[in-house]
Amino acid sequence: MNYTSQPGGGASPAQTPGPAAPAAAGPDAPAATQSAAMPTAAQAATPGTGAPSAATAARPRRWDATDLGLIAVFAALIAVSALIAAIPVGGLGVPITLQTLAVMLTGLALGPGRAFAAVGLYLLLGFAGLPIFSGGRSGLGVLAGPSAGYIFGFLLTATALGALTVVVLRRTRAGSGKVRAVLLFCAAMVSSIIFVHGLGILGMAVNAKLSFSAAFLADLAFYPGDVLKNILAVTIALALHKAFPDLLLRRIRRADGAA
Amino acid sequence: MRGHGFLSAQYVPGASPLHRSPLWLKFLLVLVCGMASFLVADWAVAAVVLALLCAVFLGTGAGGRRLFRAVRPVLPVLAMVGLFQWWQLGGPTAARIVLNILVCVVAASILTVSTPVQALLDGVASLARPFRRLGADPERFALTIAVMLRSIPFIAGAYADVRDSARARGLDRNPRALVLPVFITTVAFARQTGEALAARGLGETGPED
Repeated sequence: MNYTSQPGGGASPAQTPGPAAPAAAGPDAPAATQSAAMPTAAQAATPGTGAPSAATAARPRRWDATDLGLIAVFAALIAVSALIAAIPVGGLGVPITLQTLAVMLTGLALGPGRAFAAVGLYLLLGFAGLPIFSGGRSGLGVLAGPSAGYIFGFLLTATALGALTVVVLRRTRAGSGKVRAVLLFCAAMVSSIIFVHGLGILGMAVNAKLSFSAAFLADLAFYPGDVLKNILAVTIALALHKAFPDLLLRRIRRADGAA
Repeated sequence: MRGHGFLSAQYVPGASPLHRSPLWLKFLLVLVCGMASFLVADWAVAAVVLALLCAVFLGTGAGGRRLFRAVRPVLPVLAMVGLFQWWQLGGPTAARIVLNILVCVVAASILTVSTPVQALLDGVASLARPFRRLGADPERFALTIAVMLRSIPFIAGAYADVRDSARARGLDRNPRALVLPVFITTVAFARQTGEALAARGLGETGPED
């Protein structure tokens, strides 16, 4: 715990730690000094290791160390969110679990590729036996349980939502916060209905041998919490992109600029 | 959860044949049990298999309490499924469904109870090796796993801190105040970790790329 510049309890995005700006400038700096015709190639190369080879230029950019950090830490975030107690929401104090919230936010914050990697890493380590699935479950035995479908649904939802997020952020202007929020909420609902609920129902039907109508009814119980969580996820995602513009927004803009 | 202790809580050290058998063999056992759970059509067979697996589990020297602890998380759901299917499909079918799920759970916990966490993680990291030709990098993969494990106590601590400060401000019913700071902290932490890795030359693409 040697990180002292954490914004601890303060919710204000203005308190973001310092390194945001130099990190954003990092990949751009070599682009200016190297061939100006290929900004994405310079981005893919590590700063200061010389000119990128032709192979790196042709391939889509690889993940750098910051991407690996984001993937690993978001996988850990999903794990912790699955394990901690549910938080109360609203006047009635309906408790919602945070795991799906973390999964949706992984998609909203990281975009499709890195979200797939983060959720995939979480699943892989859970299957390997770390007790990081909800309720402290672990191992391949989870695959036999009735909730197996939901667990795979997370992977596809985060990926699909990441892809939709990129589309929404690209098509809407930065000033139109409300339009963005509504579109992102729709994207989150669509991807969670199709993948989390779709595969969840399928999983209950296959593993617990429920009929599809019974599985559908059992699944309905999750919808109210999902709507709340998706609203919360979108507000948090917009705050995150405001606090860290180079998390996803600037990547998109750079890619657009290069195309 | 603020330490790493809970991650290795399942492993029981020992020198039983299961402890000494290779990881792939135990993995195969889990896989076969998973497949069998779709094929076994008689609840009596499933019960026999479950009894066998329980005997194997106890053979590792882990003890009955460990066995119960491995099964406990699935029990409430299984009770619900069992009762519902008893009503819908009758006793034998309900028993078969529940027993088959238990078989898979016990088989999987045999793997985790007899294998140290480090060996399991090495096994996962070695999964990337066959994909090296497709551009996968086993070392970067192992590094990412290590960073993830190291981040778990930090994030658990962030959740606890944020919950305390929200409570101090009287906002412990406000989900935004309970969750948003955690995510901001998490992203900042991830990027600091990434920068720390880059500063040490770790996690970057190698010269062979």
